[in-house]
This record gives sequence, C-alpha cells and structure tokens, in this order.
Amino acid sequence: MKLVSTVVAVGLAATLMLTGCAGSGAPNSSGSGAALTIAKPDGAITTESHNPFLGDSSASKYSYGKVIFEPLALVNPTGDLNTTPWLAESVEWSDDYTQLVVVPRSGVNWSDGTEFTADDIVFTFDMYKSGTITDGAGLNVTDVTADGDTVTITFGNPKFTAQARVLHTPIVPKHIWADIADPNTDPLTDEGLVVGTGPYVLDNWSTESVTLKANPDYWGGELAVPTLNYVSYGDNAALTTALVSGDADWAQAFIPQIQDSYLAADEENHFLASPTSGAGTLFMNLQTKPFNNPALRQALAWTIDRQAYVDIAREGASSVIWSSTGLSTLLDDEILPEYKNENYSVDVDKARQVLTDAGYTWQSDKLIDPDGEPVSFSLSVPSGWSDWNTEQALIAEELKEGLGIDVKVDQPDWGGWDAARQEGTFQAIIHWLEDTGNAYGLYTSTMDPKWIVDNKAQFNFGRYNDPAVTEALNTYAATSSEADRAAALAVMQKAFVTDVPAIPLGSHPLLGEYNTRNYVGFPTTDDQYASADPTQPGVLQILTKLKPVN
Amino acid sequence: MNAIQTPLHTEDYDALEVGTTATTASKGSVRVPWRFLGGRALFYAFTLWAAVTINFLLPRLMKGDAVSAYLARNRNISPEAADGLRALLGLDTDKSLFQQYIDYWSLLVRGDLGVSLLHGLRPVTEVISQALPWTIGLVGFATIVSFAIGTIAGAIVGWRRGSRLDAIIPITTFLSTIPYFWLGLLAIALFSVNLRWFPIGKAYGVGWSPELSFEFIGQVIHHGFLPAMTIVIASLGGWVLGMRNMMLTVLDEDYITVAQAKGMTNRRVLWGYAARNAVLPQIQSFALSIGFIVGGTIVMEMVFSYPGVGKLLLDATNAKDYALMQGVFLVITLSVLVANILADVAYAFLDPRTRQTGA
Repeated sequence: MKLVSTVVAVGLAATLMLTGCAGSGAPNSSGSGAALTIAKPDGAITTESHNPFLGDSSASKYSYGKVIFEPLALVNPTGDLNTTPWLAESVEWSDDYTQLVVVPRSGVNWSDGTEFTADDIVFTFDMYKSGTITDGAGLNVTDVTADGDTVTITFGNPKFTAQARVLHTPIVPKHIWADIADPNTDPLTDEGLVVGTGPYVLDNWSTESVTLKANPDYWGGELAVPTLNYVSYGDNAALTTALVSGDADWAQAFIPQIQDSYLAADEENHFLASPTSGAGTLFMNLQTKPFNNPALRQALAWTIDRQAYVDIAREGASSVIWSSTGLSTLLDDEILPEYKNENYSVDVDKARQVLTDAGYTWQSDKLIDPDGEPVSFSLSVPSGWSDWNTEQALIAEELKEGLGIDVKVDQPDWGGWDAARQEGTFQAIIHWLEDTGNAYGLYTSTMDPKWIVDNKAQFNFGRYNDPAVTEALNTYAATSSEADRAAALAVMQKAFVTDVPAIPLGSHPLLGEYNTRNYVGFPTTDDQYASADPTQPGVLQILTKLKPVN
Repeated sequence: MNAIQTPLHTEDYDALEVGTTATTASKGSVRVPWRFLGGRALFYAFTLWAAVTINFLLPRLMKGDAVSAYLARNRNISPEAADGLRALLGLDTDKSLFQQYIDYWSLLVRGDLGVSLLHGLRPVTEVISQALPWTIGLVGFATIVSFAIGTIAGAIVGWRRGSRLDAIIPITTFLSTIPYFWLGLLAIALFSVNLRWFPIGKAYGVGWSPELSFEFIGQVIHHGFLPAMTIVIASLGGWVLGMRNMMLTVLDEDYITVAQAKGMTNRRVLWGYAARNAVLPQIQSFALSIGFIVGGTIVMEMVFSYPGVGKLLLDATNAKDYALMQGVFLVITLSVLVANILADVAYAFLDPRTRQTGA
C-alpha cells in the first residue's frame, strides 16, 4: 500500500497546490486554548485497553499511555544521549550496572489525589520480580528494596546496554494495581483505574479518537496545552492530508515527497528527523556463497552509495554512515582513534582492486569468483517497505554498473522474509539494529551469537561467530571498569572493520512532523533535547516545554 | 413506451414441454419436500465444517511466526524476551496440530474465539464486535443502495433499449473502472480539503463517543456520506450492466409478447413480468456480494480512515494473529452461508420452478 500512497500523496499535493487552498485555517480552534492532535497512520484502533505494559494495547499503539504513566527517567535517543531524571529526583547506577539507586521525586500525587511514594516504585518492579508481569523488556529484576527515601533495584545481569529499557518502565500506583488480578492483560477499562502521575488524564475514549485533559495538579507545573487528541488515520496518505489540512498537528510518519506534500503547504509546518544510534543495515549471509568471502563484502562497502540511500531512498530522513567501524556520527566518541579517519566512500576502483587481489576476475563485464562462477545474489526486503524497496533497486544498479554483480531484487511478504532471516536461508537483507544508545547496539546486532537460539536468529542474521569478539561483547556489557570496556570495544571494532559482517547504510531516524501555529518549543535541529517523535517517552519533556504562540 | 419490438417466433413447440404451465403444477399437493430440505441442510453443514477447518489450517500453513512479528512491531521490546512473550501470548505449547484442532472446535462451540495478540490481548469477539457494525452499516448500506439503484436503472435502460438512456451503461462502467483509492482521494481532495463540506475521514468526530442523540447520528451520516457515495459510484456499473443484459434476454421471451398482446400496461409488464424474471441472477450476485460486505472494503477503510473488518483482517494476517484471523474468517464464512440460504429462500419465492424439485 505504501507504493500506492506515494503516488497518491504526490497527486494530492499537486491538487492542493493547484487550487492554492492548502492549509488555510485549521478547523480546530486556534490560540492558546487550542487542542493538540497527535495522529498515527495505523488504521482505526477500535479495542480499548489502557494497559501501559502491553505492546499492542490502545494506550501503546496511540502512545497516550506515555503521558499518563511516567517513567523514572528519560533517556534521550538522539542529541546528547543524556539521561534526565523524571519521576525520580536522581537515578544512580552501580559501577557494574547491576544495581540502580533511585530517589523518588517528592511532592508528586497520583491523578486521584493519593501521594506518590517509594512504595509505588517498589511495587512496580516487584511485579517484574514475582512474574505477575511478563518481563517483555528482559529486565531480570532480582531484588527491590526501599530504605527511607531511596529505592534500590537489583538486576540479574548488567544493564549498561539496556539502561533505557530499565529507566523507561512505566511506574503504576500500588493502591490500584495491587487489586488487579492479571496486570499483564487487564485493559483498565473499569471506572477509576487509569491513574498515573503524568501531565494528562484520560477524558474520553472512543473507537475514533482518544481525548486527554491536562492534569490540574501536575507536579511539573502548568501545561500550555489543555487538551490532547489522539487520532489514527487509515494510512500515510490519509495522515498527510490530515496534517496538511490542520486536522492533525503532530505525527511521526514517513511522508514521501515531504517538501511538496507537507512542508510547502504552510510555513508553520516543520519536520525533524533525529538520528539515533540504530541504522538501516545491509546484512549478508556469511555462511554461504557469495558472501562467505570477506573480499566481496569489502568491495560492496566501497561501492554502495550511502548518500543515495539517505537522499533518494530515505528522502533525507536519515544521516549517512561512512565510518568503516559502522558507527554513526552520533557515536563519534566511541570510534577508536586509529579509525577516526577511516571512512568508506564510493570508490569503484578500490573495490575492484580488493576483488582482483582476492582472485576475482571479470568476463564480459560480469564478476567471476575465484571458483570460476559468476557472482550474483538476491537482496530481500518485504514488499511495501517503500524506502528500503527503493534502496534495493539502487544497490542492484550500483553493483551491476560498478562491479558487474547481478543482484536479484526480491520482495516477499513479511512472513516469507521473516522465516528466511531467522533460518538463515537468505542471501542479503536490509534490516534494523538493536538500539542500545551506544556502540554495542551495532556490534551485538551483527556479530553476537547470543541472538541465535534453537538455530533461529533474532539478530546476527549472517551468523558471525568469533569467540574473541563474543567475549569482548560480553565484557562490554558486563564490566565495571571503563578500561576493560574500551579494550573490548577495540576488539569489536577491529573485527568489524576487517570482516565487514554487515554494512550500515544510514542511521535510523526518529521522525516528527509538527506545526507551530498554536504552540512553540518543539525540538529543533539545533536543540534536540528529545526527538520530535510523539510516540517516544520524550514526549513528556516536549509537552511540559511547549508555550503558546503570542 | 413503444420501443419494444417483439420478435416473431415461428417454430412449433410443445407448450407443456417448455414448462409454461408451471402455475398449475404448483397448485398440487402442499407436501413438504423433506428430501430436498435435508439435502440442503446436509450440504450447508458440510460447507460449514469445511470452511471452519480451512480457517483453522490456512493461517498455520503461512510462513512466519507471531512472536517475531510482535517484536518487529514493538522494537522497544527486547528479542531476549521472546520466550516470555511466547508464554504471554499462549504460544509456548507443544500441542500437536490435531490436538489444537480439537481444542479449536471445543472452544468454538462455546463461543470462545480466543484473544487477539494484535489488540492488547482482548477477546476476539470484543475486537470484531467493535469493527463489524461499522462495516455492515456503511458497506451494507452502500451495497443495498447500489444494488437497488443499479437494478432499477438496469431494468429501465433494458426496457428502453436504443434510447438515449443507453448512455448510462458506458458512464457507470467507466466509473467502476476507476481504481477505488483514486476515486476516494479525488472525493477527499474536492469535497473535504477544498470545499470543506465533509470531514476527511473517520466514522465520527474527534472527542465524541457513540450515543443516541440526533447530533451524534448527524455526525455519523456526515462522516459516512463520502465513503458510502464512492462505494455506490464504484459498484453501480456492475449492477446496471447485469440487470440490463438480463432484461434484454427476458424481453425476447414469448410470455412478454403474450402479456403485451393481452393489453397489459407497460408498467405491469416491465415490473411484474420482465424485471421479476431478470432480477433472479442479480439476487444470486447480491448474495455473493454479502460476503464482500462483511469482509469489508479495505481500500475504503484506509483511504477514509474508517473503522472496519477489512483492515482488521489485513493487520491480523501480517501479524500472524491466528485467533483474530480465524474469528474474522468465521464471521465472513457464516455470513456468506446465511446469505446463500436467504438467496435460496428468495429464489423459491420469486421463481416457482425451484419449488418443484419434489415433482
């Protein structure tokens, strides 16, 4: 459908501009009392469940759960990658990141008037410990104790690489949740159960929209936006129409031709793509031909144009990754000094040299491997993932022209693609990375055998396995010594540079479209205190920072 | 009203053999055709069993698995938690396919369709019941309107063949060849974005809850007008064309000539004789289209952001949400079966020949 949407959005934009009627006067009331409508492109969300622990409850799909239930701290996935204590006055990790010491914020009340205390934090993490809540984030809580004003949470394994998962756990009120029989699945639809500390409280839920009102007693002070509406449109095209017409104010969708279809409609419309430490990455199957030869992988790294990925496939909504360590610029600090200037570029001569040195030849412009067989492979991305489908075509063209490799573009349905990546029957795929907010994310996703369980891979699809690297990955995640961590990082980077187990193309961005007709204070390119994505936990920071336009 | 040229039949034939005396035959004994009814009942029971079994098997033949689909949707959840998720979603059992099939039937009989993974683990019955009324209401209404207008228009156009009314055929056919999403987007661009007569989508306005008030009903009609109108426009052509073609065939029949020769009014010949016979295949098509009503029109739901079963089924399929898939398929199967039974009954009323199977 996304391909269709592209055509449609272009046509629609053209219609809008021809008639010159675009975005003139939002139907919403304007001024300081205006509501803010947050929209998603997921189709109607018709089943009511306010449970913040369930990935597919309406609260999670719309993400309004994030403004009702607050976490202990907010970890910025972009910008400075900093941690801001939120419902805690401070959060402190032990050296080996197996213990978290939390000082709960004082003077905070639940939205039903009960005081928020350390007990609520203990209760929330106790649910994970006792197993009443399925440990979806893999927290592995082993102990929670309150001592006066501090809470100490102990984990079964180090959390250095999963800090955000721990800190973003929504804190729920003990006095209500203690009586809920199955906190995993309870939809909280009975009267008076949706009680949080957050800036907004639930006002109205219907199959078409959800309305939240500002919490008058919010600890964070007065809120500029009195009403939040959450709406879900049928697809990206419908969402774009709503954003342009002013029916929706804030979204996180990938909009094709965004300049023409959205930004040009009104100068108050803004778009911010915040890079994260994750990346769209080309995974190759290292176990079979043709990618069991590192020379070919290296040659690909010298041939694939990352700028084209960002500019054409992602239409600017990403940032290039040229470093041979595979790390995005956001993680510059973690790149070893010796690799600081080791960047790939599009250099076909270099790629051909690498191949020639490894015994590859050419016959009438076709690349022949050392065994005398022509090199070809299929590159697989589910159909309908329009940005990566475009990248497939780009790579196929670049490799054919540059190296004489025949790339078959394969676009199966999601199920077929999913099975192939798990069982290792693919040749090459484009996939996302586990985002840990540091260099570990890339290296664990591409080189860590821990993801392969029962011969099914959740990451490391190429099935890279080097005991030294595995040990380094474990050390990086578990050590309490900064020096050990740096040494482990060096091992991983070296292996990644030499073996090229995968080729990151461009950073995975968090997207945000918003307008400044009624409110200002959203994150901008210069001030990325959070991403502009309203479905991220950082939405709390944005909502408390917004100011009415004068 | 005199556009009809009754063709001349010159060949000899036996009136009894052709069956023109059917009316007298039906005046015989009023015995209940048990064998016929039993046969139909058996047929429907078998169809139901086959359909339910296929509903069970098909999703399980598809590649991919529910937990990895869940992880791909919720990237804040660690793949390390896959085992925990399997337990949460009830997929950690090693039951054989046959055992699952038995369980499936025993739950089905109790009306328990399981919980939907895709919708916050709510019961499938609740998930479907939130979406189904909108689909039946809007698509059902639009289909009935389209069927009624199309059939009546087709009858009139067929009756007055050769007149200017024939232009309706290419026009409606053309409209139904426009890809639906394009028609919908044009309607939105014109009536919603530019003229601002109608909202750009959804079933009712932001901040409303369903209630029995004139204002709310007004909202629903206001929001539903564009989607319903575009469905009618897109599907009208088929009904008009089908009815008109049948009319042309029926008008050549001798009983029409006879009816006119007896001096009946054109109106009575048109509606009581010609249209009544020509409508029979239309009713069969209508019964078939009821299945599509319940299946929802997914493109409409996406273009107009309208709640409905179509998107539900698509998302369930992508997410390997077996329970929801089976639930939606079951509803579609049942409605097609019920529609066919109703069509059988309607046929029996409209066409005396089908009542004579016992003879």
